[in-house]
Amino acid sequence: MKAIIIGAGLGGLLSAARLSKAGYEVEVYERLPITGGRFTNLNYKGFQLSSGAFHILPHGPSGPLAQFLNEIGANVEIVRSETTTVRVPLKKGIPDYGKGFKDISFSDFSTLLSHKDRLKIAFLIVSTRKNRPSGFTLQTWLRTQVKDEWLVKFADAFCGWALSLRSDEVPVEEIFEIIENMYRFGGPGVPIGGCKGVIDALESVIATYGGKIHTGTEVLKIFMEGGKAAGVLIGEEVHKADLIVSNLGHVATACLCEEALSGEKNSGYLQKLETLKPSAGIKICLAADEPLVGHTGVLLTPYAKRVNGIDEVTQVDPGLAPPGKHLTMSHQYVAPENVKNLEAEIELGLQDLKEIFPGKKYEVLLIQSYHDSWPVNRAASGTDPGNETPIPGLYVVGDGAKGRGGIEVEGVALGVTATMKKILG
Amino acid sequence: MKINENCVGCGQCASFCKKGAIEVKGKARVTDACVDCGICMLYCPVKAIEVPA
Repeated sequence: MKAIIIGAGLGGLLSAARLSKAGYEVEVYERLPITGGRFTNLNYKGFQLSSGAFHILPHGPSGPLAQFLNEIGANVEIVRSETTTVRVPLKKGIPDYGKGFKDISFSDFSTLLSHKDRLKIAFLIVSTRKNRPSGFTLQTWLRTQVKDEWLVKFADAFCGWALSLRSDEVPVEEIFEIIENMYRFGGPGVPIGGCKGVIDALESVIATYGGKIHTGTEVLKIFMEGGKAAGVLIGEEVHKADLIVSNLGHVATACLCEEALSGEKNSGYLQKLETLKPSAGIKICLAADEPLVGHTGVLLTPYAKRVNGIDEVTQVDPGLAPPGKHLTMSHQYVAPENVKNLEAEIELGLQDLKEIFPGKKYEVLLIQSYHDSWPVNRAASGTDPGNETPIPGLYVVGDGAKGRGGIEVEGVALGVTATMKKILG
Repeated sequence: MKINENCVGCGQCASFCKKGAIEVKGKARVTDACVDCGICMLYCPVKAIEVPA
């Protein structure tokens, strides 16, 4: 059996590794000269920046991605972050960090609420595990439960950091699936070597089982035979396969299928694809001689104007920066209406960093933005249309087809796991 | 090199430019240090870089 994988991003390489291990003859085709997509390292002035993701696995060494890597024998060391902190103004009611701040533990978020609301939260934490809310956005649901804007700010910072969405864009069902996954798998971790540590390990597994990766090779078309996906066109050459897994997201994959999806029976699928909205975000990479965050986990910043959270990966792996330097990266959500004003959004982010790190010396290394065809997520979390397509033998993986409740790359891993179960049984 | 409207500002080109000739802020911008070697074009994930006419 032969499988063709289109795209050597994380989803593509996870699929290639699993299928080659299962005995498939695997060929991976990647348009760019490098593998890893938005989950690899970019060497910039001696710092290992990332092409997209933050050198973080949202559920660390026991999450869906780590489990998948373990099952296929990919050798990656993942270090669990010691803490997640939240920066808040010294006194409640102060709108920003200008007059000073303190950091509290993520799990202590309810200590900033009134006594009555704290009891309500304690009750909800227990009751919602059995009776999950549904049919609202997270923000609407929160407002029906507790009248305190701190909770909305906190939710926005978390959703902005983890999903690059605002709390009024996230279905409450998706958040409760995420919370359940936090109970199940634990908090974030950092892979040694950054994103590329994972990609290198996957390539090694693929090579071990005889799979081949062709970089600089663009797939122009997916073709069918007898109503089933049967191969791809590269240049003028036809490459046949029994199975095709696309890492390009549903929309770009459908474009490669051309007329094969034009019939009446596929109109529902195509209409659904039109509703998909990629999520947008900005990452600001900082270099510093002294630690800025000071711990191995995430610092959420709900009182910043734009920045949602920051992490300092050199706290775990100093090899991600030149000796003696720290690499610190901030993430900010970009609202759909602000994608056209990216420079102004970046300025607000840079102002935030000055307020978050007053008196600290740092250099802005690179500012990276993601939207539209190279977004944070091809399908905003909670809207992923699954891994199947109307064409038998053609599957979609990656950040356009995440599994439910899977934050970023954990969602990619859950989606690949589900796809492999369909293919391999 | 010429940057077209596909550019999202991901900065991938800047990390592969051997001349340090690309600045990024929302979009990539080519500086006078560019020698038109064309390496950046290969690494752009959204086909935003073109050889100048």
